[in-house]
Amino acid sequence: MAQLVLKNLYKRYDNQKKSLFRKKKPPNDYAVKNLSFSCHDGEFIGILGPSGCGKSTTLRMIAGLEEFTAGNAYIGDIRINDLKPKDRNIGLAFEDYALYPPLTVYENLAFNMRAKGKSNEEIKKAVNYVAPLLKVDDLLDMKPPALSGGQKQRVNIARAIVRRPGLLLLDEPLSHLDGKMRQTLRHEIKRMHHEIKCTTIIVTHDQMEAMSLADRIVIMKDGELQQMGTPLEVYDNPANEFVAGFIGEPPMNLLRSTIVTAGRGFLFTFADSDLRVEVPERYDSLIHDGMEVTLGVRPVDVRVAKKETAGSFVPIAFYENLGDERRIGVRVGSMLLNMATPDAVYFERGQMVQLEFKAEKTHLFHPGTGERIR
Amino acid sequence: MSQQTQLLDSSQNRKTMLILEDFGRNLGLTFYALFALFPLVWMVICSLKADAEMYNTVFVFTPTLDNYKAVLLGTDYFKAFFQNLVVSGGAVLLTVVAGVPAAYALARYDFKKKEDVAFQILSFKFAPEIMVILPVFLIFQKIGLYDTYFGLIWVYQLITMPLLIWVVRGYFEDISVEVEQAAQLDGYRWFDVFFKTLVPLIKPGLVASGLLAFIFAWNSFTFPLVLSGFNIQTITITSLRYIASDTVHYGQVAVAALIAVLPEITARLFIQKHLVRGLSFGAVKG
Amino acid sequence: MARITLERIVKRYGKNVALDGLDLDIQDNEFFVLFGPAGAGKTTLLKTIAGVEFPQEGLIKIGDEIVNHVEPMYRNVSMVFENYALYPHLNVYDNIASPMRSKLYRQDEATIHQQVERVTKMMKIDHLWERRPSQLSNGQRQRVAIGRCLVRSPNVFLMDEPLAHLDAKLRHFMRGELKEMQSSFNSTTIYVTHDYMEAMSLADRIAVLNYGKIEQLGTSLEMYYTPCNEFVARLFGEPEINIFPGEVEEENGCLGVRALGQQELMPIEEDAAQVLREKEVRQVDVGIRGNDISFSFTPREGSMAGTVYANEPIGNKVVMTVDIHGTHLSLVAPNDTQARIDQPVYIRLNMKNAIFFDGQTQEYITRSQAQSHICSKGMPISERG
Repeated sequence: MAQLVLKNLYKRYDNQKKSLFRKKKPPNDYAVKNLSFSCHDGEFIGILGPSGCGKSTTLRMIAGLEEFTAGNAYIGDIRINDLKPKDRNIGLAFEDYALYPPLTVYENLAFNMRAKGKSNEEIKKAVNYVAPLLKVDDLLDMKPPALSGGQKQRVNIARAIVRRPGLLLLDEPLSHLDGKMRQTLRHEIKRMHHEIKCTTIIVTHDQMEAMSLADRIVIMKDGELQQMGTPLEVYDNPANEFVAGFIGEPPMNLLRSTIVTAGRGFLFTFADSDLRVEVPERYDSLIHDGMEVTLGVRPVDVRVAKKETAGSFVPIAFYENLGDERRIGVRVGSMLLNMATPDAVYFERGQMVQLEFKAEKTHLFHPGTGERIR
Repeated sequence: MSQQTQLLDSSQNRKTMLILEDFGRNLGLTFYALFALFPLVWMVICSLKADAEMYNTVFVFTPTLDNYKAVLLGTDYFKAFFQNLVVSGGAVLLTVVAGVPAAYALARYDFKKKEDVAFQILSFKFAPEIMVILPVFLIFQKIGLYDTYFGLIWVYQLITMPLLIWVVRGYFEDISVEVEQAAQLDGYRWFDVFFKTLVPLIKPGLVASGLLAFIFAWNSFTFPLVLSGFNIQTITITSLRYIASDTVHYGQVAVAALIAVLPEITARLFIQKHLVRGLSFGAVKG
Repeated sequence: MARITLERIVKRYGKNVALDGLDLDIQDNEFFVLFGPAGAGKTTLLKTIAGVEFPQEGLIKIGDEIVNHVEPMYRNVSMVFENYALYPHLNVYDNIASPMRSKLYRQDEATIHQQVERVTKMMKIDHLWERRPSQLSNGQRQRVAIGRCLVRSPNVFLMDEPLAHLDAKLRHFMRGELKEMQSSFNSTTIYVTHDYMEAMSLADRIAVLNYGKIEQLGTSLEMYYTPCNEFVARLFGEPEINIFPGEVEEENGCLGVRALGQQELMPIEEDAAQVLREKEVRQVDVGIRGNDISFSFTPREGSMAGTVYANEPIGNKVVMTVDIHGTHLSLVAPNDTQARIDQPVYIRLNMKNAIFFDGQTQEYITRSQAQSHICSKGMPISERG
């Protein structure tokens, strides 16, 4: 039905004062740089990144609200660059609800179809199909000012899908809502998608939101694509240091380390610390003695060793019990290594402990470029 | 490569568009400038004509400085100029001293009928001066304010105060209360907070509205016409004197008006930056 | 140096009561967290202590002195405002230097320079000295606000959601910094947040506020393990605790709960059952956390059948929401769990860790002490009445 393909998309906002007589400013950086990805029909894609990474610009370009500086976009086989927004068969729901206050929820949902001259029966059928999906069927006679924030957002999304668009675009739909409502609506959006199987793109800065909703995640930074993959892929195999640090709560530990040869294998060493960690064998062909790397390891993938071994000890910097899990920090030279565990453990500050790394869950990055070594 | 050429193509097109746009815009602006400046040019021309040439020449005439001599040396024009300065300046000063605290109170404190009071103040500006002038005249005569500096300064508040309070109030409302509170916690007394933190933030609005108030006061005609006599003469009234009962010395009127306009133009050019920024409410945010 | 005591504080805005007869005793050098939903009165309480808001009733003491009528500047407190409250006309350096340039806390410029350098380095904003607040991002503004607060060493630090606008990574880092500083500070800190992890991680003690009243006051572990009512229980923990109604019934001399439309009674540990018996409670609400529910996709002995309502991978774990006869229970699953929506699933509750609330009042009744998995020494579960 609707496969979306973006090819070498560029966007630059024009900052040139339109005059030949004035001195020119240097042009702006690209807001979106050489972005290419495609999503399959019926897929749920999350575009994730920090503020200013170009994710909303991308969405607005797909929707037709921004011109393309360069590049092409296709929905199905149709190139959409020059299509007007209304001809792209797209449903849009923004963070702000922008419902028509004097109209009832039913009329709000029906508005677009009325504008297109659909018959009353058709409209009724479409509204009655969509309303229960987003649990707004009880609200149809109410007017927007009487609704809560969560309800408004439901209506907003329902309005976007009532025409059964080929592509549904959601721009930070949950960021206005409080925690509980956000979780509920997250579930409902996911179930709605499961029901109508409409290709959906959600833009968000919340990694948890992207992970929990999307089939695949597009991670952007400074207008450039960093990685695209399933939630598990980007979590387990981050393409670079940025992705590694951006995905996951608590964030991944990224420690500067120097590699030294020891016997047949290699060891990670750390400045001002006598901690030594064995380098997993699979890296042997990629590294050499004296090489500087960034060692990435998630807080859940390091733990305090239960049995004492010959290795070195590090001091506990902090211990906190968050109920669901325990967080432990140890000092490695001047760096702090965080650990998280659901196990019931307890440590005193200053206590000396030994660490155990899950070898298969360690990642190496180039300290300069941040690219993954693999 | 194809992308590159595409980019180039579009930039070529854009350039021609830009040239056309520029040309059109500048043409329009030139016409407007001629249109807007014409009265001023006409005034300058008039001021340089002798009375005899006033009606039968347009652009071609024998320029003379007689009008200037007559006005500047022959009459007490400078006295009026100075007195106008005192009255308008005094009015603005009083407005600032009384108006800024009033604006602060209207912005910060909640009291009964606050909005009514605020609107009442603004509505002074709506009332035609001619409506209140007779009672004020009678009262001023009774209490001895007629034809005094203070009398005029006082009554000018009707012109200057509402504007300033209204603009500056908007500025105070834009400053979050927390900024004041933070300054207090930083160890500043309220007095310091006001002068070190608030005044810099309302400055654009204060300057802009103060300047406008000055211009309004400077140009005021009705009040000084009725409420001043021989002691105080403002420039607007003085300019009329050159329209005598038998002849009208247009040249001299033009000279008087031209000089009267000078302080306004100077001030405006000088503070144009503030004026633009200051009157767009809330521009200081962030 | 600065113990803070509040006695019966009442603060009203017109007809709205923001603080409703609040009593609080904050120890010297304590890191005290105010926690609660929006509109609970947290910010008002901070401002009341700072002296920029005045309560209609009640006493505020800092140390032994009643400060109701002491001007804010003489209270020697510094505060991070939620909306930053930076001086828009000053650059970052001057903003942070401001507390040390007032008459009261004046320092010489050399000291100021040194101090500003110290805090801006700590906040990682030392490259932004020349910028005005309008040229900063929200996260940077917030760090300037924190910097201005930390540059002095007052008796009391008041912090209103100081990390709310930072991105996740920076927030995590700053939390660590604050924690480090807390141990070296010689001051009392009162900290407002709506993030339960921040609260639990930083606090010596937490007060949960709601509608201007304190719902519960205690350590973070007390909040988590023995919440005084369902409201508090729901605030701590991610995913939110599951609470469902049930009826206490006796079968073969053992107490159990009938709930979720199940045939079998859910067992109650002996010590908890004892309390329920004594109080003769019939209607209970059972609270059980996501960690205490196990699942499988094939039926097992003693498991309940349901369907997958939602399956959300969030990195190191998957939160699965299971629909059992219309009740939704969230559980924590390993991070590679795959499940289709509406797929059948079988779950088992670890009733040893269940918390029992009164079905009517929603107040805490009891939980079993047998499975005390509280591992922090010196923080036992306090038995409640």
